[in-house]
Amino acid sequence: MHAVAANGVHKEYGDTTALAGVDLEVDAGEAFALVGPNGAGKTTFVRCLTGTEPVDSGSVELLGGAPGEADPQRVGLLPQSFSPAGRLTAREVVTHYAGLYDAARDPGDALDTVGLAPDRRDEHYENLSGGEQRRACVAATLVNDPDVLFLDEPTGSVDPAGRRALHAALSELVAGGTTLLLTTHDMAEAERLADRVGLLSSGELVAVGAPSELVAAHAGGPSLLVETDADVGEIAGFDAESADGGVRLRGVARDDVADVVRALDESGVAFDALEWSEPGLEDAYLALTGESE
Amino acid sequence: MSRFERIRSEAVAAGKAFLRRRTAVFFTFFFPVLLIAVFAGLIRTDAGGGLFARPTGYYLPGYLGVVVLFTPLSRLSSTVARHREGNRFEKLATTPLTSTEWLLAHVLITAGLVAAASAVLVLALVPLATFALSPLLVPFVLLGAVLFGGIGAILGRLADSQDGAISMSNGLALPLLFLSETFVSPDLFPAWFRPFTALSPLTHFARGVRAATYTGENALPALGLLALLTVVFFAVGAYALPTTD
Repeated sequence: MHAVAANGVHKEYGDTTALAGVDLEVDAGEAFALVGPNGAGKTTFVRCLTGTEPVDSGSVELLGGAPGEADPQRVGLLPQSFSPAGRLTAREVVTHYAGLYDAARDPGDALDTVGLAPDRRDEHYENLSGGEQRRACVAATLVNDPDVLFLDEPTGSVDPAGRRALHAALSELVAGGTTLLLTTHDMAEAERLADRVGLLSSGELVAVGAPSELVAAHAGGPSLLVETDADVGEIAGFDAESADGGVRLRGVARDDVADVVRALDESGVAFDALEWSEPGLEDAYLALTGESE
Repeated sequence: MSRFERIRSEAVAAGKAFLRRRTAVFFTFFFPVLLIAVFAGLIRTDAGGGLFARPTGYYLPGYLGVVVLFTPLSRLSSTVARHREGNRFEKLATTPLTSTEWLLAHVLITAGLVAAASAVLVLALVPLATFALSPLLVPFVLLGAVLFGGIGAILGRLADSQDGAISMSNGLALPLLFLSETFVSPDLFPAWFRPFTALSPLTHFARGVRAATYTGENALPALGLLALLTVVFFAVGAYALPTTD
Protein backbone atom coordinates (compact mmCIF):
# COMPACT_ATOMS: atom_id res chain seq x y z
CA MET A 1 0.00 0.00 0.00
CA HIS A 2 1.19 3.52 -0.73
CA ALA A 3 1.48 5.70 2.33
CA VAL A 4 1.51 8.79 0.14
CA ALA A 5 0.36 9.17 -3.46
CA ALA A 6 0.10 12.20 -5.71
CA ASN A 7 -1.43 12.10 -9.14
CA GLY A 8 -1.07 15.04 -11.51
CA VAL A 9 -0.89 17.57 -8.70
CA HIS A 10 -1.08 21.10 -10.01
CA LYS A 11 -0.84 24.23 -7.91
CA GLU A 12 -0.60 27.88 -8.86
CA TYR A 13 -0.20 31.07 -6.87
CA GLY A 14 -1.40 33.87 -9.09
CA ASP A 15 0.73 33.74 -12.23
CA THR A 16 3.30 31.44 -10.65
CA THR A 17 3.08 27.72 -11.24
CA ALA A 18 4.34 26.04 -8.07
CA LEU A 19 3.54 22.47 -9.10
CA ALA A 20 2.97 21.38 -12.69
CA GLY A 21 1.39 17.95 -12.62
CA VAL A 22 3.47 16.05 -10.09
CA ASP A 23 3.06 12.27 -9.78
CA LEU A 24 4.60 10.40 -6.87
CA GLU A 25 3.99 7.27 -4.86
CA VAL A 26 5.79 6.57 -1.60
CA ASP A 27 5.38 3.10 -0.12
CA ALA A 28 4.71 2.44 3.54
CA GLY A 29 8.00 2.16 5.40
CA GLU A 30 9.96 3.91 2.64
CA ALA A 31 12.24 6.89 3.17
CA PHE A 32 11.89 9.41 0.36
CA ALA A 33 13.89 12.61 -0.02
CA LEU A 34 12.70 15.51 -2.10
CA VAL A 35 15.50 17.73 -3.34
CA GLY A 36 15.53 20.73 -5.60
CA PRO A 37 16.57 24.35 -5.90
CA ASN A 38 15.01 27.09 -3.81
CA GLY A 39 11.54 27.86 -5.13
CA ALA A 40 11.25 24.50 -6.90
CA GLY A 41 7.96 23.74 -5.12
CA LYS A 42 9.13 21.35 -2.40
CA THR A 43 7.32 23.04 0.47
CA THR A 44 4.18 23.52 -1.59
CA PHE A 45 4.25 19.83 -2.48
CA VAL A 46 4.61 18.82 1.19
CA ARG A 47 1.70 21.10 2.05
CA CYS A 48 -0.43 19.51 -0.66
CA LEU A 49 0.49 16.03 0.56
CA THR A 50 -0.41 16.87 4.17
CA GLY A 51 -3.61 18.63 3.14
CA THR A 52 -2.67 22.00 4.61
CA GLU A 53 -2.79 23.45 1.10
CA PRO A 54 -5.52 22.41 -1.36
CA VAL A 55 -4.46 21.32 -4.84
CA ASP A 56 -5.81 23.16 -7.89
CA SER A 57 -6.11 19.93 -9.84
CA GLY A 58 -4.97 16.36 -9.52
CA SER A 59 -5.36 14.22 -6.44
CA VAL A 60 -3.49 13.34 -3.28
CA GLU A 61 -3.83 10.33 -1.00
CA LEU A 62 -2.40 10.09 2.47
CA LEU A 63 -2.70 6.72 4.23
CA GLY A 64 -5.24 5.59 1.66
CA GLY A 65 -7.61 8.55 1.80
CA ALA A 66 -7.83 12.26 1.27
CA PRO A 67 -5.23 14.10 3.40
CA GLY A 68 -7.94 15.86 5.39
CA GLU A 69 -9.42 12.52 6.36
CA ALA A 70 -6.15 10.92 7.48
CA ASP A 71 -5.96 10.07 11.17
CA PRO A 72 -3.80 12.90 12.61
CA GLN A 73 -2.56 10.48 15.25
CA ARG A 74 -0.68 8.70 12.43
CA VAL A 75 0.83 11.78 10.81
CA GLY A 76 3.73 14.02 11.87
CA LEU A 77 4.76 17.25 10.17
CA LEU A 78 7.68 19.57 10.75
CA PRO A 79 7.00 22.63 8.59
CA GLN A 80 9.80 24.67 7.12
CA SER A 81 10.83 27.57 9.42
CA PHE A 82 8.61 26.23 12.19
CA SER A 83 9.02 28.26 15.36
CA PRO A 84 7.14 27.46 18.59
CA ALA A 85 6.65 29.88 21.50
CA GLY A 86 10.04 31.29 22.48
CA ARG A 87 9.31 31.45 26.20
CA LEU A 88 8.51 27.74 26.51
CA THR A 89 11.35 25.40 27.35
CA ALA A 90 12.31 22.65 24.91
CA ARG A 91 10.68 20.13 27.25
CA GLU A 92 7.50 22.20 27.42
CA VAL A 93 7.34 22.52 23.63
CA VAL A 94 7.44 18.74 23.27
CA THR A 95 5.02 18.28 26.19
CA HIS A 96 2.62 20.72 24.55
CA TYR A 97 2.47 18.73 21.33
CA ALA A 98 2.38 15.41 23.19
CA GLY A 99 -0.74 16.67 24.94
CA LEU A 100 -2.56 17.08 21.63
CA TYR A 101 -2.55 13.33 20.90
CA ASP A 102 -4.46 10.45 22.44
CA ALA A 103 -1.22 8.53 22.81
CA ALA A 104 2.26 10.00 22.79
CA ARG A 105 5.78 9.17 23.83
CA ASP A 106 7.27 10.56 26.98
CA PRO A 107 8.66 14.02 26.05
CA GLY A 108 11.99 13.16 27.66
CA ASP A 109 12.21 10.05 25.52
CA ALA A 110 11.53 12.06 22.37
CA LEU A 111 14.25 14.52 23.35
CA ASP A 112 16.60 11.60 23.99
CA THR A 113 15.88 10.37 20.47
CA VAL A 114 16.98 13.61 18.85
CA GLY A 115 20.00 13.93 21.11
CA LEU A 116 19.18 17.20 22.86
CA ALA A 117 21.44 17.38 25.91
CA PRO A 118 19.58 17.01 29.23
CA ASP A 119 20.97 20.27 30.59
CA ARG A 120 19.49 22.18 27.64
CA ARG A 121 15.96 20.83 27.85
CA ASP A 122 14.74 23.31 30.46
CA GLU A 123 16.13 26.33 28.63
CA HIS A 124 13.63 28.62 26.96
CA TYR A 125 13.34 27.77 23.29
CA GLU A 126 14.47 31.27 22.30
CA ASN A 127 17.74 30.75 24.21
CA LEU A 128 18.67 27.53 22.42
CA SER A 129 21.07 27.50 19.48
CA GLY A 130 19.61 27.06 16.00
CA GLY A 131 20.57 23.40 15.93
CA GLU A 132 19.12 22.75 19.39
CA GLN A 133 15.91 24.46 18.39
CA ARG A 134 15.58 22.30 15.32
CA ARG A 135 16.15 19.17 17.37
CA ALA A 136 13.43 20.19 19.81
CA CYS A 137 11.10 20.73 16.84
CA VAL A 138 11.87 17.29 15.43
CA ALA A 139 11.19 15.80 18.88
CA ALA A 140 7.82 17.57 18.93
CA THR A 141 7.09 16.10 15.50
CA LEU A 142 7.84 12.48 16.31
CA VAL A 143 6.35 12.54 19.81
CA ASN A 144 3.16 10.84 18.55
CA ASP A 145 5.10 8.01 16.86
CA PRO A 146 3.59 8.80 13.46
CA ASP A 147 3.25 6.24 10.68
CA VAL A 148 4.06 8.95 8.13
CA LEU A 149 6.56 11.63 8.97
CA PHE A 150 6.95 14.77 6.84
CA LEU A 151 10.06 16.81 7.58
CA ASP A 152 10.59 20.01 5.62
CA GLU A 153 14.34 20.73 5.85
CA PRO A 154 14.80 19.13 9.27
CA THR A 155 18.54 19.61 9.69
CA GLY A 156 19.11 23.14 8.46
CA SER A 157 21.39 24.93 10.98
CA VAL A 158 22.07 21.70 12.88
CA ASP A 159 25.77 21.05 13.56
CA PRO A 160 27.42 17.84 12.28
CA ALA A 161 27.12 15.99 15.60
CA GLY A 162 23.49 16.93 15.95
CA ARG A 163 22.84 16.04 12.35
CA ARG A 164 24.38 12.63 12.89
CA ALA A 165 22.15 12.09 15.95
CA LEU A 166 19.08 13.12 13.97
CA HIS A 167 20.03 10.88 11.05
CA ALA A 168 20.45 7.93 13.40
CA ALA A 169 17.07 8.65 14.99
CA LEU A 170 15.34 8.95 11.62
CA SER A 171 17.00 5.79 10.31
CA GLU A 172 15.78 3.94 13.40
CA LEU A 173 12.24 5.20 12.84
CA VAL A 174 12.30 4.08 9.22
CA ALA A 175 13.71 0.70 10.24
CA GLY A 176 10.75 0.45 12.59
CA GLY A 177 8.31 0.94 9.73
CA THR A 178 7.76 4.70 9.70
CA THR A 179 7.33 6.27 6.27
CA LEU A 180 9.60 9.28 5.93
CA LEU A 181 9.28 12.08 3.41
CA LEU A 182 11.82 14.82 3.86
CA THR A 183 12.94 17.80 1.86
CA THR A 184 16.56 18.83 2.00
CA HIS A 185 19.30 20.77 0.26
CA ASP A 186 21.89 18.42 1.73
CA MET A 187 22.64 15.74 -0.88
CA ALA A 188 24.68 13.70 1.59
CA GLU A 189 21.65 13.66 3.87
CA ALA A 190 19.38 12.52 1.05
CA GLU A 191 21.87 9.86 0.01
CA ARG A 192 22.27 8.62 3.56
CA LEU A 193 18.62 8.57 4.65
CA ALA A 194 16.53 7.96 1.57
CA ASP A 195 15.63 4.78 -0.25
CA ARG A 196 14.61 6.98 -3.17
CA VAL A 197 15.22 10.57 -4.08
CA GLY A 198 13.03 12.83 -6.19
CA LEU A 199 14.33 15.95 -7.85
CA LEU A 200 11.79 18.74 -8.11
CA SER A 201 12.66 21.56 -10.47
CA SER A 202 10.36 24.39 -11.51
CA GLY A 203 7.37 22.50 -10.17
CA GLU A 204 8.12 19.29 -12.03
CA LEU A 205 9.48 16.03 -10.68
CA VAL A 206 12.26 15.60 -13.21
CA ALA A 207 13.88 12.45 -11.79
CA VAL A 208 13.01 9.81 -9.23
CA GLY A 209 15.07 6.84 -8.18
CA ALA A 210 17.45 5.29 -5.70
CA PRO A 211 20.45 7.55 -5.10
CA SER A 212 22.75 5.06 -6.85
CA GLU A 213 20.42 4.93 -9.88
CA LEU A 214 20.31 8.70 -10.17
CA VAL A 215 24.07 8.92 -9.89
CA ALA A 216 24.59 6.24 -12.51
CA ALA A 217 22.10 7.79 -14.90
CA HIS A 218 22.88 11.47 -14.54
CA ALA A 219 26.13 12.16 -12.68
CA GLY A 220 28.60 10.99 -15.30
CA GLY A 221 31.66 8.86 -14.52
CA PRO A 222 34.46 9.35 -12.05
CA SER A 223 36.84 12.23 -12.62
CA LEU A 224 40.39 13.27 -11.88
CA LEU A 225 41.26 16.81 -10.86
CA VAL A 226 44.79 17.78 -11.86
CA GLU A 227 46.00 20.80 -9.91
CA THR A 228 48.17 22.59 -12.43
CA ASP A 229 48.74 25.98 -13.99
CA ALA A 230 49.61 24.41 -17.34
CA ASP A 231 47.36 24.69 -20.36
CA VAL A 232 46.29 21.11 -20.93
CA GLY A 233 44.11 19.91 -23.82
CA GLU A 234 44.03 16.14 -23.70
CA ILE A 235 45.89 13.62 -21.58
CA ALA A 236 46.03 9.88 -22.06
CA GLY A 237 42.94 10.03 -24.22
CA PHE A 238 40.88 12.01 -21.71
CA ASP A 239 39.65 15.49 -22.60
CA ALA A 240 40.55 18.10 -20.00
CA GLU A 241 38.07 20.75 -18.97
CA SER A 242 38.87 23.83 -16.97
CA ALA A 243 38.13 23.52 -13.26
CA ASP A 244 38.79 25.47 -10.11
CA GLY A 245 42.53 25.01 -9.37
CA GLY A 246 43.43 23.14 -12.56
CA VAL A 247 41.79 20.85 -15.09
CA ARG A 248 39.30 18.01 -14.66
CA LEU A 249 39.47 14.81 -16.67
CA ARG A 250 36.09 13.08 -16.94
CA GLY A 251 35.61 9.30 -17.07
CA VAL A 252 38.94 8.42 -15.47
CA ALA A 253 38.58 5.08 -13.70
CA ARG A 254 40.73 4.38 -10.64
CA ASP A 255 42.91 2.05 -12.73
CA ASP A 256 43.50 4.79 -15.31
CA VAL A 257 45.15 7.18 -12.84
CA ALA A 258 48.63 5.66 -13.29
CA ASP A 259 48.35 6.10 -17.09
CA VAL A 260 47.38 9.75 -16.61
CA VAL A 261 50.33 10.39 -14.30
CA ARG A 262 52.68 8.77 -16.81
CA ALA A 263 51.24 10.89 -19.63
CA LEU A 264 51.59 14.05 -17.57
CA ASP A 265 55.26 13.23 -16.92
CA GLU A 266 55.94 12.43 -20.55
CA SER A 267 54.36 15.71 -21.67
CA GLY A 268 56.28 17.70 -19.07
CA VAL A 269 53.17 19.02 -17.35
CA ALA A 270 53.95 20.04 -13.80
CA PHE A 271 51.18 19.51 -11.27
CA ASP A 272 50.81 20.00 -7.51
CA ALA A 273 48.28 17.32 -6.71
CA LEU A 274 45.77 14.87 -8.11
CA GLU A 275 42.28 14.31 -6.73
CA TRP A 276 40.25 11.39 -7.99
CA SER A 277 36.57 11.26 -7.11
CA GLU A 278 33.52 9.22 -7.87
CA PRO A 279 30.38 11.15 -8.74
CA GLY A 280 27.75 11.66 -6.08
CA LEU A 281 24.16 12.69 -5.87
CA GLU A 282 25.22 16.31 -5.94
CA ASP A 283 26.69 15.79 -9.41
CA ALA A 284 23.43 14.23 -10.56
CA TYR A 285 21.53 17.14 -9.00
CA LEU A 286 23.73 19.71 -10.73
CA ALA A 287 23.43 17.91 -14.04
CA LEU A 288 19.66 17.62 -13.81
CA THR A 289 19.04 21.17 -12.68
CA GLY A 290 21.47 22.62 -15.18
CA GLU A 291 23.28 24.39 -12.37
CA SER A 292 27.06 24.40 -12.38
CA GLU A 293 29.70 24.87 -9.78
CA MET B 1 -11.80 13.53 27.64
CA SER B 2 -9.29 13.72 24.83
CA ARG B 3 -10.83 16.94 23.53
CA PHE B 4 -10.52 18.36 27.03
CA GLU B 5 -6.88 17.23 27.18
CA ARG B 6 -6.07 18.88 23.85
CA ILE B 7 -7.62 22.17 24.93
CA ARG B 8 -5.89 21.94 28.29
CA SER B 9 -2.51 21.28 26.66
CA GLU B 10 -2.89 24.24 24.29
CA ALA B 11 -4.17 26.52 27.06
CA VAL B 12 -1.33 25.58 29.43
CA ALA B 13 1.27 26.30 26.74
CA ALA B 14 -0.43 29.59 25.84
CA GLY B 15 -0.72 30.61 29.49
CA LYS B 16 2.91 29.86 30.27
CA ALA B 17 4.13 31.64 27.15
CA PHE B 18 2.11 34.73 28.10
CA LEU B 19 2.96 34.82 31.80
CA ARG B 20 6.68 34.75 30.96
CA ARG B 21 6.40 37.92 28.90
CA ARG B 22 6.69 40.31 31.80
CA THR B 23 5.94 43.46 29.86
CA ALA B 24 2.70 42.03 28.51
CA VAL B 25 1.64 40.86 31.97
CA PHE B 26 2.50 44.20 33.55
CA PHE B 27 0.51 46.25 31.10
CA THR B 28 -2.46 43.86 31.14
CA PHE B 29 -2.95 44.62 34.83
CA PHE B 30 -1.50 48.13 34.93
CA PHE B 31 -3.78 49.27 32.13
CA PRO B 32 -7.00 49.30 34.22
CA VAL B 33 -5.26 51.09 37.06
CA LEU B 34 -3.94 53.67 34.61
CA LEU B 35 -7.45 54.12 33.23
CA ILE B 36 -8.88 54.87 36.62
CA ALA B 37 -6.10 57.31 37.39
CA VAL B 38 -6.82 59.21 34.16
CA PHE B 39 -10.59 59.02 33.81
CA ALA B 40 -11.56 59.12 37.47
CA GLY B 41 -9.66 62.38 37.72
CA LEU B 42 -11.52 63.79 34.74
CA ILE B 43 -14.90 62.79 36.06
CA ARG B 44 -14.32 64.48 39.39
CA THR B 45 -13.05 67.71 37.86
CA ASP B 46 -15.77 67.96 35.24
CA ALA B 47 -18.86 67.44 37.34
CA GLY B 48 -20.49 70.63 36.11
CA GLY B 49 -21.09 69.37 32.57
CA GLY B 50 -19.35 68.16 29.43
CA LEU B 51 -18.17 64.67 28.47
CA PHE B 52 -17.95 63.22 31.96
CA ALA B 53 -20.96 64.91 33.51
CA ARG B 54 -22.77 61.75 34.61
CA PRO B 55 -22.49 60.25 38.11
CA THR B 56 -19.43 58.09 38.63
CA GLY B 57 -21.27 54.76 38.50
CA TYR B 58 -22.41 55.48 34.96
CA TYR B 59 -18.89 54.97 33.67
CA LEU B 60 -18.24 51.50 35.07
CA PRO B 61 -19.17 49.92 31.68
CA GLY B 62 -16.60 52.23 30.10
CA TYR B 63 -13.79 51.16 32.40
CA LEU B 64 -14.67 47.49 32.03
CA GLY B 65 -15.23 47.95 28.32
CA VAL B 66 -11.65 49.09 27.84
CA VAL B 67 -10.30 45.90 29.40
CA VAL B 68 -12.86 43.63 27.74
CA LEU B 69 -12.24 45.23 24.35
CA PHE B 70 -8.52 45.97 24.15
CA THR B 71 -6.98 42.92 25.84
CA PRO B 72 -8.71 40.19 23.76
CA LEU B 73 -8.43 42.14 20.51
CA SER B 74 -4.70 42.82 20.83
CA ARG B 75 -3.86 39.44 22.40
CA LEU B 76 -5.71 37.23 19.94
CA SER B 77 -4.81 39.24 16.86
CA SER B 78 -1.10 39.27 17.74
CA THR B 79 -1.17 35.61 18.81
CA VAL B 80 -2.68 34.57 15.49
CA ALA B 81 -0.14 36.70 13.62
CA ARG B 82 2.71 35.20 15.68
CA HIS B 83 1.46 31.68 14.98
CA ARG B 84 1.34 32.45 11.28
CA GLU B 85 4.88 33.83 11.26
CA GLY B 86 6.14 30.69 13.02
CA ASN B 87 4.23 28.30 10.75
CA ARG B 88 2.53 26.96 13.86
CA PHE B 89 -0.91 26.66 12.29
CA GLU B 90 0.55 24.46 9.55
CA LYS B 91 1.85 22.07 12.17
CA LEU B 92 -1.32 22.22 14.26
CA ALA B 93 -3.40 21.44 11.17
CA THR B 94 -1.87 17.96 11.11
CA THR B 95 -2.55 17.30 14.81
CA PRO B 96 -5.91 16.31 16.33
CA LEU B 97 -6.37 19.88 17.64
CA THR B 98 -9.14 21.61 15.67
CA SER B 99 -9.24 25.33 14.98
CA THR B 100 -12.27 25.63 17.29
CA GLU B 101 -10.35 23.94 20.10
CA TRP B 102 -7.33 26.16 19.47
CA LEU B 103 -9.40 29.32 19.65
CA LEU B 104 -11.27 28.06 22.70
CA ALA B 105 -7.98 27.40 24.53
CA HIS B 106 -6.69 30.87 23.75
CA VAL B 107 -9.91 32.74 24.56
CA LEU B 108 -10.15 30.84 27.84
CA ILE B 109 -6.71 32.10 28.84
CA THR B 110 -7.62 35.58 27.64
CA ALA B 111 -10.96 35.49 29.48
CA GLY B 112 -9.11 34.54 32.66
CA LEU B 113 -6.75 37.48 32.25
CA VAL B 114 -9.60 39.86 31.45
CA ALA B 115 -11.58 38.60 34.44
CA ALA B 116 -8.58 39.14 36.73
CA ALA B 117 -7.90 42.62 35.33
CA SER B 118 -11.61 43.47 35.61
CA ALA B 119 -11.64 42.33 39.23
CA VAL B 120 -8.68 44.61 39.95
CA LEU B 121 -10.49 47.46 38.25
CA VAL B 122 -13.83 46.92 40.04
CA LEU B 123 -12.15 46.63 43.43
CA ALA B 124 -10.19 49.81 42.77
CA LEU B 125 -13.39 51.62 41.79
CA VAL B 126 -15.46 50.56 44.80
CA PRO B 127 -14.29 53.47 46.98
CA LEU B 128 -14.37 55.93 44.08
CA ALA B 129 -17.70 55.28 42.37
CA THR B 130 -21.27 54.37 43.25
CA PHE B 131 -22.52 51.19 41.58
CA ALA B 132 -24.04 47.84 42.48
CA LEU B 133 -21.82 44.78 42.53
CA SER B 134 -23.98 42.50 40.40
CA PRO B 135 -23.10 38.82 39.83
CA LEU B 136 -24.08 39.40 36.22
CA LEU B 137 -20.76 41.21 35.81
CA VAL B 138 -19.09 37.80 35.59
CA PRO B 139 -20.95 36.52 32.51
CA PHE B 140 -20.82 39.94 30.86
CA VAL B 141 -17.03 40.14 31.25
CA LEU B 142 -16.42 36.54 30.19
CA LEU B 143 -18.72 36.72 27.16
CA GLY B 144 -17.19 40.05 26.16
CA ALA B 145 -13.69 38.58 26.37
CA VAL B 146 -14.65 35.61 24.20
CA LEU B 147 -16.52 37.81 21.70
CA PHE B 148 -13.66 40.22 21.19
CA GLY B 149 -11.22 37.31 21.20
CA GLY B 150 -13.12 35.97 18.18
CA ILE B 151 -12.86 39.35 16.47
CA GLY B 152 -9.15 39.45 17.37
CA ALA B 153 -8.66 36.11 15.63
CA ILE B 154 -10.28 37.52 12.50
CA LEU B 155 -7.98 40.56 12.61
CA GLY B 156 -4.97 38.26 13.07
CA ARG B 157 -5.97 36.45 9.91
CA LEU B 158 -6.39 39.69 7.95
CA ALA B 159 -3.13 41.30 9.13
CA ASP B 160 0.15 40.50 7.43
CA SER B 161 2.35 40.78 10.54
CA GLN B 162 2.24 41.12 14.31
CA ASP B 163 2.72 44.89 14.03
CA GLY B 164 -0.11 45.06 11.53
CA ALA B 165 -2.36 43.01 13.80
CA ILE B 166 -1.79 45.31 16.78
CA SER B 167 -2.31 48.40 14.61
CA MET B 168 -5.54 46.96 13.27
CA SER B 169 -6.82 46.03 16.71
CA ASN B 170 -6.04 49.49 18.10
CA GLY B 171 -7.52 51.13 15.04
CA LEU B 172 -10.76 49.22 15.54
CA ALA B 173 -10.90 49.38 19.34
CA LEU B 174 -10.40 53.10 19.87
CA PRO B 175 -13.36 54.38 17.82
CA LEU B 176 -15.47 51.44 18.98
CA LEU B 177 -14.82 52.39 22.59
CA PHE B 178 -16.16 55.91 22.23
CA LEU B 179 -19.08 55.06 19.93
CA SER B 180 -20.52 52.28 22.09
CA GLU B 181 -22.30 54.08 24.95
CA THR B 182 -19.35 53.60 27.28
CA PHE B 183 -17.85 56.95 28.24
CA VAL B 184 -19.93 58.99 25.82
CA SER B 185 -23.66 58.87 26.52
CA PRO B 186 -25.89 58.43 23.44
CA ASP B 187 -27.58 61.84 23.88
CA LEU B 188 -24.28 63.48 22.94
CA PHE B 189 -24.45 61.89 19.47
CA PRO B 190 -26.54 63.37 16.66
CA ALA B 191 -29.96 61.72 16.45
CA TRP B 192 -29.26 60.16 13.05
CA PHE B 193 -26.17 58.40 14.40
CA ARG B 194 -27.69 56.88 17.55
CA PRO B 195 -29.17 53.76 15.84
CA PHE B 196 -25.72 52.90 14.48
CA THR B 197 -24.30 52.48 17.98
CA ALA B 198 -26.38 49.29 18.24
CA LEU B 199 -24.15 47.75 15.54
CA SER B 200 -21.25 47.66 17.99
CA PRO B 201 -21.12 44.55 20.20
CA LEU B 202 -19.58 46.73 22.90
CA THR B 203 -22.79 48.76 23.05
CA HIS B 204 -24.70 45.71 24.25
CA PHE B 205 -21.98 44.96 26.76
CA ALA B 206 -22.17 48.55 28.06
CA ARG B 207 -25.99 48.60 28.15
CA GLY B 208 -26.09 45.29 30.01
CA VAL B 209 -23.41 46.17 32.55
CA ARG B 210 -25.02 49.56 33.14
CA ALA B 211 -28.43 47.96 33.61
CA ALA B 212 -26.99 45.47 36.09
CA THR B 213 -24.88 47.89 38.10
CA TYR B 214 -26.29 51.40 37.70
CA THR B 215 -29.83 51.84 36.35
CA GLY B 216 -31.32 48.69 37.89
CA GLU B 217 -33.02 47.76 34.62
CA ASN B 218 -33.32 44.18 33.34
CA ALA B 219 -29.87 43.23 32.01
CA LEU B 220 -30.82 39.82 30.67
CA PRO B 221 -31.91 40.92 27.15
CA ALA B 222 -28.50 42.54 26.65
CA LEU B 223 -26.82 39.45 28.07
CA GLY B 224 -28.74 37.23 25.65
CA LEU B 225 -27.82 39.40 22.69
CA LEU B 226 -24.19 39.47 23.79
CA ALA B 227 -24.20 35.68 24.07
CA LEU B 228 -25.59 35.37 20.55
CA LEU B 229 -22.96 37.74 19.16
CA THR B 230 -20.29 35.83 21.06
CA VAL B 231 -21.29 32.56 19.39
CA VAL B 232 -21.29 34.20 15.96
CA PHE B 233 -17.91 35.95 16.28
CA PHE B 234 -16.29 32.94 17.93
CA ALA B 235 -17.45 30.71 15.08
CA VAL B 236 -16.24 33.17 12.43
CA GLY B 237 -12.94 33.58 14.28
CA ALA B 238 -12.38 29.80 14.40
CA TYR B 239 -13.28 29.50 10.72
CA ALA B 240 -10.87 32.32 9.84
CA LEU B 241 -7.84 30.58 11.33
CA PRO B 242 -5.45 29.57 8.55
CA THR B 243 -3.69 26.26 7.98
CA THR B 244 -0.70 27.70 6.10
CA ASP B 245 0.80 31.04 5.17
